Amino acid sequence: MPSDLNREPRTPGEPLLRVEHLVKHFPLTQGIIFKRTIGAVQAVDDVSFELRRGETLGLVGESGCGKTTTAKTLLRLEEPTSGAAYFNGQDIFRLSRGELRTARRKIQIIFQDPYASLNPRMTIGDIITEAWEIHPDVVPRAERSDRARDLLERVGLPGESLNRYPHQFSGGQRQRVGIARALTLNPDLIICDEPVSALDVSVQAQVINLLEEIQDEFGIAYIFVAHDLSVVRHISDRVAVMYLGRIVEIGDEDDIYEKATHPYTQALLSAVPVPNPEGREHRTRIMLEGDLPNPADPPSGCRFRTRCFKAQEKCAEEDPALIDRSGHGHPSACHFPEVLLSVGS
Amino acid sequence: MSTLLPQADRADVPPAAHLLAVEDLTVEFRTRRGVVHAVNGVDFHLDERETLAILGESGSGKSVTAQAIMGILDTPPGFITRGAIRYRGTDVLTLREEDRRKVRGQKIAMIFQDALSALNPVFSVGWQLGEMARVHRGASRSEAKRAAIELMERVRIPNAAQRVGAYPHEFSGGMRQRIMIAMALALNPDILIADEPTTALDVTVQAQIMQLLAGLQDETGMGLILITHDLGVVADVADRIAVMYAGKIVENARVHDIYARPAHPYSEGLLASIPRVDQRGGKLEAIRGAPPSLIDLPPGCSFHPRCDYRRDNCTRDVPPLYEVSADRGSACHYWQEVLGAQ
Repeated sequence: MPSDLNREPRTPGEPLLRVEHLVKHFPLTQGIIFKRTIGAVQAVDDVSFELRRGETLGLVGESGCGKTTTAKTLLRLEEPTSGAAYFNGQDIFRLSRGELRTARRKIQIIFQDPYASLNPRMTIGDIITEAWEIHPDVVPRAERSDRARDLLERVGLPGESLNRYPHQFSGGQRQRVGIARALTLNPDLIICDEPVSALDVSVQAQVINLLEEIQDEFGIAYIFVAHDLSVVRHISDRVAVMYLGRIVEIGDEDDIYEKATHPYTQALLSAVPVPNPEGREHRTRIMLEGDLPNPADPPSGCRFRTRCFKAQEKCAEEDPALIDRSGHGHPSACHFPEVLLSVGS
Repeated sequence: MSTLLPQADRADVPPAAHLLAVEDLTVEFRTRRGVVHAVNGVDFHLDERETLAILGESGSGKSVTAQAIMGILDTPPGFITRGAIRYRGTDVLTLREEDRRKVRGQKIAMIFQDALSALNPVFSVGWQLGEMARVHRGASRSEAKRAAIELMERVRIPNAAQRVGAYPHEFSGGMRQRIMIAMALALNPDILIADEPTTALDVTVQAQIMQLLAGLQDETGMGLILITHDLGVVADVADRIAVMYAGKIVENARVHDIYARPAHPYSEGLLASIPRVDQRGGKLEAIRGAPPSLIDLPPGCSFHPRCDYRRDNCTRDVPPLYEVSADRGSACHYWQEVLGAQ
């Protein structure tokens, strides 16, 4: 890891968020009365990244790669095992309950499932104004219903929706309610955990456009967690690709989608079907062999080596650091990084 | 000028020409809240070696169509109220229950999105795969086991002989889907219906499964009906495509034609609204609104509330499937305008 990550933060011009060496292990236990720890699932293992104000960082990878766990620890919905996350100057992981409450105002989350994430017994108005009950100084009581109405209209729902219940809305509309709720406390950062993957194709675009408009208007930064590489390319300024608890490659949208150097990123991109049948006979595709290794017992050296088409002896012996080895302009955790020109179309 | 495809065409082409022909299929669900018009007069056909994609969003009727073909519709509340499903010319809906089962069980097979819940957790996969051989061919246990291993090898499950006794939960999602495919292939079907076979899978695994299906299709010459919402997957593998909206096919075409120049506003809207992995983003052209309630369909064209080409008659007259060219249809009064817009 570059050593400058370890210096103490807090100068103006700092990134909004700096995550350093984040680790989250889930212990595996055996026995019912006398529990013994017999190992740990290394869900997130030494993840570091930065996020600037108003920027979107896409976090991609397949199931089990640790992208959702990474996002959840930033809200302390999961307690990290170790590491630090400096947000607006404070290490979120070291805040007391009370401090955390204040800090969380500035970090909000939008969930994947708009059916499960809204309380069916609360009206839309109650859902929106609930945060102001907890943080009463944000909006004076008398103005709350007007503000809630404004927010709903901003996300494209009629103001009268205030008195209605979640079941009266479609999936896309509920996701708009989720977005309005995330905006109530004027956050600096919204974590979007697969926000459009449960929506129909024709509705996805509406929600993606809305998220982009809101970002432009309020200058909010997004951490956009998704498995859909097309959506992530569309919305992200920078992208981090995760595999088995690690970031294997990180860079600008263009670095990752046009100049990827990590074999896993290349395989992932080549597997995404392109919605254009022209020339499909000539498309090259990197087929990965086998399945994801057990995250409780990851391979030695490079974690991807067991499925990598480039693996050599060195890969089993030496864990490749996430650095720019070959002057491609962005870091890649591969001993043999190179741009593959034939990937994709 | 435009003529109506469905009825006019059928008289001169003998239906026996097709491996599968679905005609005017209409399915409704009678629920307490009212009659849900899930499938409203669907026509399509499938030939050997062909891949037909049925593309649609949730509630478009694509899965119900598949269930009706397979005879696994929940009845009640679901009823086929009109139409024919012809397998090599014979309408399976008019067959006696016993004969119908023979066709559907042996000649048409289906795989589902959720392979884990389609497999029985308390029996080994070998037992479940061997069941086909035992029940349909009266095979002994050891023969059935051998058949199971062969099937697992056919779908390229590594170490098949060692893993034949393993249980579904011991396999990954991709491997479970391979087991489902193996089970579907056990009786050498002529038609395989794949209902969102890769939706629950990661993208690298999706690529493996689609490659496997294509290979098996080459080997056996079976016709494949791929039910999906993914325009990328369709572009990759399909020969023809039928786009469904609110229980109707709104456009059917060869896959190259529709991606190059869609002839229905809904197909056009879908293609414009998806972000693409091979292109950098601008603003997405979203389709406004949401799909209609199937209990209370809009009058006239079901898509008119969301359509930019809408005129007065669209709210009144149900558009037939106009013939755009040979083997291509669009259910839009203004399909020429849509085609011309590109």
